[in-house]
Parts: sequence; C-alpha cells; structure tokens
Amino acid sequence: MSHRFAFYPGCVAKGFCPELYESFVRVAAEFDIEVEELKDVGCSGAGLIPAEICDPINARTLAKAEAMGLPLLTICSTCQGVIGGSALRLTDPAYRARINREHLADEGLEYQGTTDVKHFLWALVEDVGLDVVQSKIKRPLDGLGFSPFYGCYLRRPIDVIQRPERKLYLEQVTEALGGTNVDISGKGKCCGFPSLTANEENAFAMTAKHLGEAVDKGADAMVLPCPLCHLEMDGEQSAVEKATGRRFDLPILHLPQVVGLAIGLDPKELGLSRHMASTKKFVAQLQPVGSLVGAAS
Amino acid sequence: MEITFKFQRGGTRAQPEYVDYQIDVPPEMTVFDALVAVRETQDGTLAFRGNCSVGFCGDCTLSVNGAQKVTCLVTVGKTQKDGVITVQPIRYAPVEKDVMHDMRKFLWDKVDVFAKGVVPNGGHPVTDEELRPVRKAMRCTTCGLCDEGCTVIDVNLDFYGPAALTKLYRFAFDPRDGITAERLREGSEVHGIWDCVHCWEATEHCPFGLEPTHLIMDTRDRAIAHGIKSGYGNKMLERHYDAFEESISRKGWLDERSVALQTYGGLIKGGLHTLPLGLRALRKGKATLKPHYKRPGADRIRKIFDRYNRANAGLRKEKQR
Repeated sequence: MSHRFAFYPGCVAKGFCPELYESFVRVAAEFDIEVEELKDVGCSGAGLIPAEICDPINARTLAKAEAMGLPLLTICSTCQGVIGGSALRLTDPAYRARINREHLADEGLEYQGTTDVKHFLWALVEDVGLDVVQSKIKRPLDGLGFSPFYGCYLRRPIDVIQRPERKLYLEQVTEALGGTNVDISGKGKCCGFPSLTANEENAFAMTAKHLGEAVDKGADAMVLPCPLCHLEMDGEQSAVEKATGRRFDLPILHLPQVVGLAIGLDPKELGLSRHMASTKKFVAQLQPVGSLVGAAS
Repeated sequence: MEITFKFQRGGTRAQPEYVDYQIDVPPEMTVFDALVAVRETQDGTLAFRGNCSVGFCGDCTLSVNGAQKVTCLVTVGKTQKDGVITVQPIRYAPVEKDVMHDMRKFLWDKVDVFAKGVVPNGGHPVTDEELRPVRKAMRCTTCGLCDEGCTVIDVNLDFYGPAALTKLYRFAFDPRDGITAERLREGSEVHGIWDCVHCWEATEHCPFGLEPTHLIMDTRDRAIAHGIKSGYGNKMLERHYDAFEESISRKGWLDERSVALQTYGGLIKGGLHTLPLGLRALRKGKATLKPHYKRPGADRIRKIFDRYNRANAGLRKEKQR
C-alpha cells in the first residue's frame, strides 16, 4: 500500500544537511512513501520569525498541500512544530479568514484548515507500521546502542503533537530495528541550537550534557529526527569538545539513515561519510547485509 | 489512610538524608495540609514554605515523589505510592532549612526586575478584549514550577526564566502602559527573552495553564514589531534576525551561509569565524559552493514581510524617539 504526501523538506535538509534529504528520499521509496515535493513554499520561520509573518507563509504551504488533497510530510522537527503551531492557530475560523483574505486570496489560494502535518517519524510508525518496517530488515542493528534525541518540537506542546504516544516513537523504531535503546534524561530537551547566537555558553552546556550522558551510558550513536539538532550535536560537537575539554566522539545519525542501514542500504549512499563527527568506528561495527544474527522478528 | 512522609532534612540532592513521619489522614486531604498536620502533631521544627493553602500564593511548591507540585493543589491519595510520599526541595532553588526554599534568590528578585507598575500612556478606554491576555498573565502565582522545568535554568541559573518573563509580558502587553519599548529593551538583554530556547517546557509545567513559553514567544514577537531584536549586550542576535529575514524575504528560504557570515560580523569577521568549520564541511561534501537560488513564489513571501513591516512602521519610530 502506498502512502502519499505533499513533501516539505525544510531549508536545512536542502542546505547544510543534504545527507538527510537524500537518505530520506532513498528510504521513503523502500516503504512506498510517495512524495510530491512542494517547491513554491517559504521557510516555516523556525521559531524566530513572528507569528504574524510565519502564519501567512505557513497557511500558504498548508493551502497548497490541501489543494493536492494530501497531508503534509516533514523531515524536520522544527518545521513540524512551527507549521503545526500555525496550523493549530489557523483552526480559528476568524483568524484563518483574515489570513486568507489578506495574504492568500490574490494568489487564488484559500486554506480551509484541513491539512494534517506529519513528521516522517510519525508516518513511519502510524502509516507504514513497525511490522512492515521490521519485515524489510536486512541488517539488524543488534548489539548497537542508540540514544534517542527528539529535541523540543516532537515532544511539546501537546496540542501541537496531538498524541502523547508520539513521545516514544523514536526508541520504538530503533528497538524494532534490533538496536538497544540507551535512554538519556534530556532526550526531549533542547539541543542548544536556538541559543547558539543568543548565548553560546548556554547552548554548549546543553549539548555537552546530552552528549556526555549518551557516552556515559554506552551509546554507539545518537539518533535524531531534526536537522537543527544535528547541526548542533554533530556540527558543533568539536567546538563543544574544545569548550568543555571533554572528548565525545559520538556519531549523530538522522532517523532515515538509521532506518536505511537496517534495511541494508549502503552507509555511503546514506551520507554517513558527510558528518562532521566521525561515523567510521560506528560503520565498522555494522553487520554484513543479509546477516540474520538475532534478527528482530 | 496511613501515610509515611519521607522528609528530607539534610544531605544533598544526590545523597539526601530523610526522617520518616507516619500519619493517618483522609486520602482527599492535600499534601500541604497533611504536612502541616505532621508539623503540628509530631515535630514543630519541620521547615517548609506555605501560606494560603488554596492555590493562590504559589508558596508551597515542593518535590513530592519526584514530581514538582504546588502541594496545596494535590491530594495525599493521588500522590502517595505504596503509602509513601517522599518530600524534597525543588531542583534549582537554594534551600534555607529542610525543604524551605530561598524563593527570593531563586525567583522573586528576578520577577521584581520586570515588576515596575503601569506608567499611564495618556489614557483611552480599555476594552475587555484588550485586557484579556494581560489578565491571564496576572494569574501567575510565581509558584516557580515553570522555572523548575526550564531547559535554560537547568544550565544557567542567571537566566531570568519563564516566571519573571511572564511578569514582563504582563506589563509589556498592558494597553494602558506608556513605556512598552523600554520594557521590551530591558527584557531583551542577556539572560532575557532571547535566551529562551522555546522548548515549551514552561507551558507544559504551569499548573494554571498560563502557557509561559507562549507568553515569551509573544513578547519576542512584540519586541520585533518594535524593531527590537536584541539588547545592547547581545548585538549578534540583531544581525542574526536581520540576515534571516533578508534571506527568506529575498529568496523564499534560508541561506545558511550568508546568515552565518552576517551573524558573525559580515564578510571578513564572519568569514574568519566560520572558515574552519566551512572548510571541513566543504571537504566532507556537507556544504557546497553552489549559489543559493531564489525559489518560485519568493516574491509572495517578500510581500508578507513587507506588509508586516509597513504595519509596524509606527512602533519602530516610537523606538527611535
């Protein structure tokens, strides 16, 4: 059964995290996730741009998906949370009518308030199903420990994420793939990225806390559904090491990469060599494709 | 029901020293009232805060069985686990004795920074609609639970925190006030609204549904409307916002390279700062030298920004005065 979505990749997956975009496209095809990429849409606002600006921008995105009769799929927690927040505010008919009138009407668009906004993680569990995910395993991740890191926007606020069970999907996926869940206390906290320009000291302290806990608990990698968290945990990892004097050397993987590895895709094809924190040691630990040792069943 | 209170009376958070008190109380009694009963009948030296006992003063916040609660709002029956309630101080407040917090140090001093009363702006009739958001913020009891959940306070106790910034909101959104821009400027300095990482923990932790994270984000939006995107002590933020806006309103989407350059001080200074990371990213194939293209429909995005900036031009003039 195929699952169709209007696809909103977000800026970072098309910019500084190209490996996220490419690994997603590759993995989505394996699970019959058919996406039609929206190209004529704006940045969600990333929590920086005032609601007065990002709500019309996101209403436009939501209206385009609605016109295609498809739910919107994101691969970035921040886009998910910000567009989801706009979608929630736009359920107010009077507000929606004003945004439609002032910003969308002259383009012939009207948002009716019906578009469902879904992150790839949610689609994987709710639409594809973990049983189907497991049936495609060609390289179980047995013996590897993964620390889940959601960041903020896939955990809160509850009226935007809608279902509390979604707060646990990430570890459910890695465990379904054969991996061991290495839980960390800050998995639903901020990675530090939003504070990078405002207060770098705070940002690094947050990052160091999460990385340190994952390493202390024996994680082989951290898995996350948000490219902004990736920019922080992976891109800034060496700077955080310098600032704190502690070496972490922890590979930070995008969710589609972890799924891709388990279904037998090549680490290079999934972009693992593009990370700033080395993934070499991790890749060397992977079992050969076709291995059924302790396959998750 | 028979309850054992394991009451922290010394030691540290990591190695607490408890004293046990048994008491028979009805399950619907509040935890705060039960603690008062223990103090009155068993040990008059027990120290903990509390005042109104009806959820109005926000004084009796404690950690009970590992969860932070306003203890006069939760019952013994629902809190106990196997007949035990462990009572500890909340995580980040300094302790004076037993579980009695120094709330002045932890919270009140910070709230007071933003508590300067309304400076009348000349007066006009104020509608109920205009006052509604302010009235919501007025309901804050400074119980401190939002600060307890705060991601930033977790790493830096100097951050003003959501409770104090709720007080800022209360005055910055008051339609009768004449010094809004001044308040927003003050709240924009280091440790203020821009240090918030909008993780929504405060909204989740507030027992009164005041949504403090939302209030901080609304305050930031209002500051931007006034043309205030940083304080004087953290100017990099303003450059970051301006670069972000320029990138999106010109091309429709984010140009990370130009935003990074401008944020860190322009072509030369920013270039030097971002060069080592940029070179590594290029070598890894993470970054490219391809130009940042303009998306179809970028002009629509620009129109949305233009409209917003025109609508707020008056407020920005007020800031410059």
